[in-house]
Amino acid sequence: MSKSYALLPCNGLDKCAGCISREVAIKVCENSDSEIICPVLYRVADARYNKIAQEKPLIVIDGCNTRCASRLASEKSLKIAQKINISDEAKANNIELHNSLKLNDEDFKLVNIIADNLLKEEEKVISSLDTDFPEKFEYEIYKKDKFIFRVPKEGFYFNENDCYVYVVGNRARIGVTDYVQQSLSDIMFFTPPAVGSEIEQFGEAGTIESGKAVFEVVSPVSGTVVAVNEKLLNSPELINENPYEKGWIEEIELSDFESDKELLYDFNKYFEIMKRKVDEFHV
Amino acid sequence: MAETTFMGVPREKIDWSPRIDYTKCNYCMECVKFCPHDVYEIREGEEKKLIVKNPNNCVVFCRACGKTCGVDALSFPNKNETTKMIKELRKEMEGNE
Repeated sequence: MSKSYALLPCNGLDKCAGCISREVAIKVCENSDSEIICPVLYRVADARYNKIAQEKPLIVIDGCNTRCASRLASEKSLKIAQKINISDEAKANNIELHNSLKLNDEDFKLVNIIADNLLKEEEKVISSLDTDFPEKFEYEIYKKDKFIFRVPKEGFYFNENDCYVYVVGNRARIGVTDYVQQSLSDIMFFTPPAVGSEIEQFGEAGTIESGKAVFEVVSPVSGTVVAVNEKLLNSPELINENPYEKGWIEEIELSDFESDKELLYDFNKYFEIMKRKVDEFHV
Repeated sequence: MAETTFMGVPREKIDWSPRIDYTKCNYCMECVKFCPHDVYEIREGEEKKLIVKNPNNCVVFCRACGKTCGVDALSFPNKNETTKMIKELRKEMEGNE
């Protein structure tokens, strides 16, 4: 069965990675029923692409962390099904990108690896477990202009990086606080960590992304990722709606919570810190 | 105002801030635009047009500016080692009390 994507490469002509993004899009297009969205034309005349951008699952291909393609998708309010970052892929495959704009054999090797992965049937091993986490919490609220910042009053611990943990038995849910989702505004993409992977306290536990920025989820606890909130893959906006309830990020089997706890804040301390951050930084 | 302590440890004892690879940096200043903590300083007319001026303003474990860098010129210390160091410093401080 042929795949059918809308492909939005950054097509950055001033960088090797941008040139590779274009080749990946071409290769996927040639080997499937997909269509390429030209970012240049799309920006000035979007009528040409509105239909395919809405009907087909969208793959955004950024060359580098400037994320031109992602930002364009955000500007046009597109739903992103999958994201590729060429620079990250190069690192993961031990291929060093060079400064020349003409692609060499190594670059084409990378093009083939990425395109083949996209063309393969995806096998998703993501599971959500039914554990006993409450669905509703009580909040203390801090308001600034039209923005509302909620912090749950009981049972949560926080780190200075605005991520929370809620523990039930030897398992915990982690996520971000209202401060993060308000600062990012509309969250359009969630990159989960691999289920089964081990995370140290303060290690990266996935990323969430808006048109404004990429936020690294800083894990408040150490342990093994046992589940991710798969609803976020299609509806990352759940984090904006309520990051403590339906917008939780992942579940972790704890390895040493007693020790982790020493480097975390309770509600009282975090609420003070958050209020100060809101007053100083939130505009 | 910068935090002066992090989890009870004086901030200046914790080595956490971005390192700029000047062979890669193209002075696009996206990191400066991004960071609200006044970590960087732009120096017009100098060879290094961007420096890490206030490393202790950097939020410990935050690497967000690095994710804005198109040329991958920013790096950070190892997180596990930093965590270990913070725990050791806390122990030392408890011992001194």
